Parts: sequence; C-alpha cells; structure tokens
Amino acid sequence: MFDYFANPSRFIRIANRLLLPLVILSLSTGAIGLYLGLFVAPADYQQGDTVRIIYIHVPSAWLALFGYVGLGLCGLFYVVWRHPLADIAARAIAPVGAVFALLTLVTGALWGKPMWGAWWVWDARLTSMLILFFFYLGFIALANGFDRAERGSRPAALLALVGMINVPIVKFSVDWWNTLHQPASLLRSDGPAIDSSMLTPLVLTLIAAHAYFAILVILRMRALLTERRLAALTLRPGGE
Amino acid sequence: MKPFFAQIERDLLIAWQNRQDLGVMLVFFVIIIALFPLAIGANATVLDPLGVPVIWIAALLAILAGFDRLFAQDVRDGWLDQIALSQLGLGWYALAKAISHWLTAGIPLLIMTPLMAMMLNIPSQQWPPLLIALLIGSMGLTLLGVIGAALAEGARRGTALMALLILPLAVPLLIFGTLASQSDRGIISPHLMLLGAVFALLLALAPLVAASALEIGETETGL
Repeated sequence: MFDYFANPSRFIRIANRLLLPLVILSLSTGAIGLYLGLFVAPADYQQGDTVRIIYIHVPSAWLALFGYVGLGLCGLFYVVWRHPLADIAARAIAPVGAVFALLTLVTGALWGKPMWGAWWVWDARLTSMLILFFFYLGFIALANGFDRAERGSRPAALLALVGMINVPIVKFSVDWWNTLHQPASLLRSDGPAIDSSMLTPLVLTLIAAHAYFAILVILRMRALLTERRLAALTLRPGGE
Repeated sequence: MKPFFAQIERDLLIAWQNRQDLGVMLVFFVIIIALFPLAIGANATVLDPLGVPVIWIAALLAILAGFDRLFAQDVRDGWLDQIALSQLGLGWYALAKAISHWLTAGIPLLIMTPLMAMMLNIPSQQWPPLLIALLIGSMGLTLLGVIGAALAEGARRGTALMALLILPLAVPLLIFGTLASQSDRGIISPHLMLLGAVFALLLALAPLVAASALEIGETETGL
C-alpha cells in the first residue's frame, strides 16, 4: 500500500479529489460549531464568557500534538522505508504544527490573564507546549539548514524520531516538576467531564480544525512537490 | 573491541594536543557562574537557593558549547569514510566519540564543581548528591550533544542550530538533575533514578541516531 501512494502524481490526484469534501466539512462543522459555541452555549458559571476561547484553544492544542505525532510517523516512514512522500509530508506538517502550538500558547495566555491573573505561569502544560513549539522550530531549522534542501531530510526525520521518544519524557518530567493547569476533561476513562451544551460545539470545532489541518497540509505538499519538480527541471542539462 | 579503544585513544591524543580548548571550556563554565551573582545581586538570601540551578545551567551550556564541530574534522580529512568502511562501524565510533568527549570535558567540569559550590555557598552535605547527579547528567548531556552534532553536521550555522535542537530535549535531564541535586532524602533519591533512566535510554539511542545521521553525511561528502 505504501508503494501505491509513493508515486507523487498519483498522490496529487487523490489529494485533489479529497480537497473539496474536506473544505466543505471544515467550513460547515466550523460554522455550526462556532455558532453553537459563541451564541447558543451558556456561559460558564465560574468563568463567564471567557470560557468561549476554549473553542479555539483546545482544537489548536490537539492539532499541535497531532502534527507532532504526524512528524514522528513521517520520520519513521522516511528512515525505515525511504518513502519519498514522507519527507514532503513532514516538511508540510512542521510549520502548520508550529503555528498551532503558537496559537495554543497565545489563546492560553489570553485565557490565563482573566482566570489566573497572569499571562504566563510556569505550569507543566504551558511549559511542555512551549517546549513542543521549540521542537517544531528546531525541526524546521534542521530540515532547511543545509545548502542542498534534500540533504536535511534524513537528519530532520531522525530528529522527529528522537522527539517522538523524548517529548513524552519531557512531558512527564515537566508534569513532575509543576502542575497547575486543569487535568484532561475530554479523553477520560469515565467519559467527558463537560456538559453536552459545551461539548457539542467543541467536538464540531475539533472536526473542523482537523479538516482544516488536512487541507493546509495537502496544499503545502502540492506546493512542495511542484517546487521540487521545478528545481529538477532547471537542474537538467540544457534547462535553465 | 580493539578499534573501539584505538578510536578513544586517538581522540584523547587529539584533545591533549589541543588542550587549550579544554581551558577555554572550563573558563566558560566559571564565567557563566560568575555572571549570575552579577545579574542577581550579592544578596545572600536570594543567591543561596540559586546555587545548584546555576551550576546546572552553567554545566549544560559549557558541555553543549564543546560540541561545536565534533565530527567536522573527521568528515573533512576522510577519517569518517574510513570508519564507515572499517569493522568499527559508525555506531561504535559515535559511542567512542562520546566517551572521549566526556573524559576530556565532563571530568574536568566535575573536578571544578566543588570549587564553584564553595563560591556559591552550597552547604557541604549537599555536595555528594550534587556531584553524583552531575556525573550522570553530564554523561547524558554528552550523549545528547553527540546526537545534535551528528544531526547538524554539514549544516549552515551549525552551533546555533545545535542549541535549538538539543536544549528542548535536555529538559528532562535538567529537571531530574536539579531535583536530585537538592534531594534531602539521601543520595539515591527517586529523581536520581529517573535521571539514570533517561541516561540509559540516551545511551541506547545516541549511537544509533548518530550513526544513521553520519551515514548520509558520509555519502554526501563523497559526491
């Protein structure tokens, strides 16, 4: 199956067919989710209207983690099977994941100021998200840090693999170090700890954000593939 | 095992020939420590609790600063190509590099630490946990540095890039290290065990990652 998708032009054909359904899915769930979240859902009894930032904050945080897992998987595919698209996918995912990590930090700061009385506290979750953001920046810098772009692919894939092993340890050590942020509310063994009036819009915005993430990655992968093809054409003798 | 020890011996000899670099690293370590009181002020009630963290941050920066161009010379003069062809293999080569680097940078740093601890007013009953934790921590940092140097080998602006790659990954070592150094439950604290676990993981991981990264660098320079 991996070989089947290894052909870039076949990949672009399939991706192009997926693009429109993804756009429709993202726009519709996003619009309904935000409407329900911002206008229909009741304000929190403790946090008031500030709680509504959750519909941006939580999807961003999920996508930052999702992108990091994606990077790790791409790294694995690239190092083990030398899958040519894995490198392109990783390069496409990294900046998107970095922006979502940054968005999580910014919305978290905006949320933290009225709730905790500070823009930033050195809490475990905030700190590990900050480190995840640095990790994304390191990946981007390493992938583009060589004179010939493809030379950075292998080191970057290895870094993603090391990060895949090390970032959970970072998370664990930072948790050990200091915890103030509320524990996970959504994915728990005894069911979600959020009322359904807030849960429905949150799930909808989560779906919208993931579809949006997929759209961005597909568009970026298409651009990167075209870039590579252009570079190959100009390098050919008699080109240029 | 003979080529492995030969590689260590060779690197130690080269380090001895460039022994001035070792002095620079130690002075760097001392200067970072001296900068903290200058920035914080000489007030002992503020400064005293910061002693252990200051030593850890200085050690982290000093060790990682030493990794600049760890493999560069070997890539340039073709030594790495010979290693890749030899029976030693790149993984053992990377481990040998880590050991020789730790012997020439980590050990002097540890010898220097009690002096620094004295300057920072760290009570002497805290020295054993600090030194044990720093011993394991410096070995772990050395392995991380080998990973970073191998990944960034051949890149533009290698040093700054390496810091960006390695410092986020050094967080567990820093956290467990400082906690173990300040332990009041004897030398063998739970934090020291966790520090040891992270070190053991890095010991298994670093040679593999470094070998895989150097392999491509080795074929690239041949082009």
